[in-house]
Amino acid sequence: MSAPSQWTVFWRTVVGRAYPRIIGAQREKSWVFFEIFLPLLQVTAYVYIYRAIQAPPEFIGFVVLGGAMSAYWLNVLWSMATQLYWEKETGNLELYIVAPTSRMAILLGMAMGGLFATTLRAVAVITIGTVLFHVSMSVSSVPALVGVFLTTLVALYGMGMLLSSLFLLFGREAWHLSNLLQEPVSLVSGFYFPVRALGQVVAAAASILPITLGLDAMRQLLFPAMLGKFRFLSPGVELAILVGLAILFLFLSHRALAFFEKLARRDGRLSVRGQ
Amino acid sequence: MAAWLGWQIESNWADPFVFAIYSLVKPLAGALILVFMYAVIAKDGLHSPLFPGVFVGNALFIYVPAVLAGISWTIIDDREHYGMLKYVYTAPVNVFAYLIGRGVAKAIVATVAVVIMLLLGTLALGVPVRLAGINWLFVAATLVLGSAMLSLFGILLGGVTMITARHNYGVGEAVAGGLYLLCGVVFPLDTLPAWLAATGRVIPISYWLEAFRRALLGHGTEAFASLSDGVLLAVIAGSTAVLAVLAVLGFRLAERRARAKGLLDMQTMY
Amino acid sequence: MMSDCYAIRTEDLRRVFRAKRREAKKQKREVVALDGVSFSVGSGELFGVLGPNGAGKTTTIKILATLLSPTAGRAWVAGIDVAKDPKRVRRHIGMVSGGETSGYGLLTIEENLWMFSQFYGLDTRVARARIKELLEVVGLADRSRTKIYHLSTGMRQKMNFVRGFLTEPEILFLDEPTLGLDVQTAHTLRGFVSNWLAEHRDRTILLTTHAMHEADELCGRVAIIDKGRILACDAPATLKRELQRDAIFRLRIADLADARGVVGTSPDVTQFTQTASEAGVDVDAILTHDGALTQLLASVEAAGGRLLSLEKREPTLEDVFLHIVGHGFEDEIREGGSA
Repeated sequence: MSAPSQWTVFWRTVVGRAYPRIIGAQREKSWVFFEIFLPLLQVTAYVYIYRAIQAPPEFIGFVVLGGAMSAYWLNVLWSMATQLYWEKETGNLELYIVAPTSRMAILLGMAMGGLFATTLRAVAVITIGTVLFHVSMSVSSVPALVGVFLTTLVALYGMGMLLSSLFLLFGREAWHLSNLLQEPVSLVSGFYFPVRALGQVVAAAASILPITLGLDAMRQLLFPAMLGKFRFLSPGVELAILVGLAILFLFLSHRALAFFEKLARRDGRLSVRGQ
Repeated sequence: MAAWLGWQIESNWADPFVFAIYSLVKPLAGALILVFMYAVIAKDGLHSPLFPGVFVGNALFIYVPAVLAGISWTIIDDREHYGMLKYVYTAPVNVFAYLIGRGVAKAIVATVAVVIMLLLGTLALGVPVRLAGINWLFVAATLVLGSAMLSLFGILLGGVTMITARHNYGVGEAVAGGLYLLCGVVFPLDTLPAWLAATGRVIPISYWLEAFRRALLGHGTEAFASLSDGVLLAVIAGSTAVLAVLAVLGFRLAERRARAKGLLDMQTMY
Repeated sequence: MMSDCYAIRTEDLRRVFRAKRREAKKQKREVVALDGVSFSVGSGELFGVLGPNGAGKTTTIKILATLLSPTAGRAWVAGIDVAKDPKRVRRHIGMVSGGETSGYGLLTIEENLWMFSQFYGLDTRVARARIKELLEVVGLADRSRTKIYHLSTGMRQKMNFVRGFLTEPEILFLDEPTLGLDVQTAHTLRGFVSNWLAEHRDRTILLTTHAMHEADELCGRVAIIDKGRILACDAPATLKRELQRDAIFRLRIADLADARGVVGTSPDVTQFTQTASEAGVDVDAILTHDGALTQLLASVEAAGGRLLSLEKREPTLEDVFLHIVGHGFEDEIREGGSA
């Protein structure tokens, strides 16, 4: 039997690593309660803030969309960024390294598997939120919306892959770093209000996070009535920057993974647990 | 002793970075989301009559995810990361005291955040907290009852965590997210549909936040206007007692199920 | 450097672990885990690296399995330099460690094994057939659909074995593979290793262990390692034969708690170990000649000891270790030790 090609190994690895993510979520149904129902309540809380202060109806839509997209950010933080550290602690990382496969394929598998469950959550938030709160959306361009959405996800998960290798070096602190990023990113990326409210400088700085521009562009494409008043940049420009970010993060994550693996091999950190 | 052990594990005071994350960065960022929502949209911005009550509710709510996540995460971390949960159960340690010790450490870090938030609100955002008018005895009673109540919530949630898998989202934070809606933290409870508002009235945290609003601002919200301060404290004390029974029973039930199904050392990461 | 004729070869391998700055205040700044290790393993060999905890066995395997870089020296696996081209090395190797907790608890044995097989690009049909076959061999076939968090330590290690052998690697590293297992399971797994190698004669296994009988039973050759240095390397039978000119005795002595003052001072005792027993102490001693025993027994009696039993033994690998290192495994206490 001839040895499989590197591409075959790559794609089989992606499928292999995505499998536990998809099956795990199916096996433990409690995720539906913790990852769909409860976050939906949190989104609802923000909806009621806007209702209490009589905000324009589009803002309810902003919150629902922000709540759906925040699912991806949380998935990147908790199931991508900290994941290699957890894999090290449980002894899987050694086996990933020893295997003749690409570490990028393993990260991609994690991302694909994570995307599956997270998309279910995001769809649930969007659907239930739209129905419950009578959110009215008018899509100005479906291809643009799909393009922005997919590019945002590629850039976001590319960033997750990069964080994953970075966090591997931080060890135990990785958990705290993820915690550090959670609320501040919700703030500066404008999950619950248009990012322009933070001012051009903060919004520009926050644009390094793909979710910032992705959300702003999608809101413009879904709620064109608000386009002029609250937009940060035009959707076309935001899409172009997102494409750049996607390429940058994928490239950097590839380099970082190789670099940190070398560093970790030198310092003996690939298998020392509790660090 | 068990509580001290929990405290020692949790209180990583030596690391200023970790301390800063939990006491400053997370709560401040969370609160600023609310500030921006008001600043951008509310007709009177931060001068909206709702803002002070909402700000105080939001500041005090910092305790809720801190304690709930602190205790429930302990179960997951000890079970799946350090593999310690089974040893906690084989050691002569009172597991409730151990968990409360972990929760108390989180609550103390959260206190720093709450104080910083209240100072920010008072000094920079015009929230009218007047130190001279504060009934300190009332505040102390509310704090003591609140600590007990949140710890009990944490233990109940710890029981749930013991028999469920580790998912992406922190269980403690997810539950706190739900409570954020139901307890009328950032909007008047009556804004919710009647059935949701009624649910909020059954949860002791709603009363606890109301007590703090009254203590710090001199007035509470419409939803609880009919209750005197004494009655409010009695409701918190009574519901805490009921919660104590539920928490102990719930936790023991979960424990029994975990033992029966061999879940004390399960690995559920995926 | 010609290294292609060997499956594994190391040359003056050295690995130093440096403590982090904040930890350095509390412990030694440097721990030398390997201090000039050189050996070679031919294709088709089952080679053992034998030594106490902290001797450098795991460090050696980690370097060879590309998990750790050497501080100095070189190593080749399948003729490829592990430091220069770790990616190519990985196409030829597999690894199983004792006490491993890898895999995902929510997946079944079968699913976990399939997942790992995908990292090697194995075709799903081939993987499933091999999983079925190997699970039967190790006696786990009836548990193939059990989630792995329900498995006992022994079952989990059997699964790890299947994972290691599933991809039929050219060179397999087994790091203390029977650590913590009961006698029966350890026996099953040793049988599995022997049979597998008999059926796959072109494959190579490097086994680290501190279980002497395991090395004796399985390995064609062993390297004895202590404090990061290889002290001897040969076939177990050859190493033991070296000792056959010496006299090895086991003495069970009552009414004496510590035999060091008696046995240790005798000029005819080249090495000895003692372990406490209910009655007093058990002593394993290597004497320069049989005749020295009379004098030794007289010394024991003079010290108040009462001889309960006396046995002349054939040398074991443990005696070899004792002879070479100067102390038994039990006496070995090392500080630090990522090794």
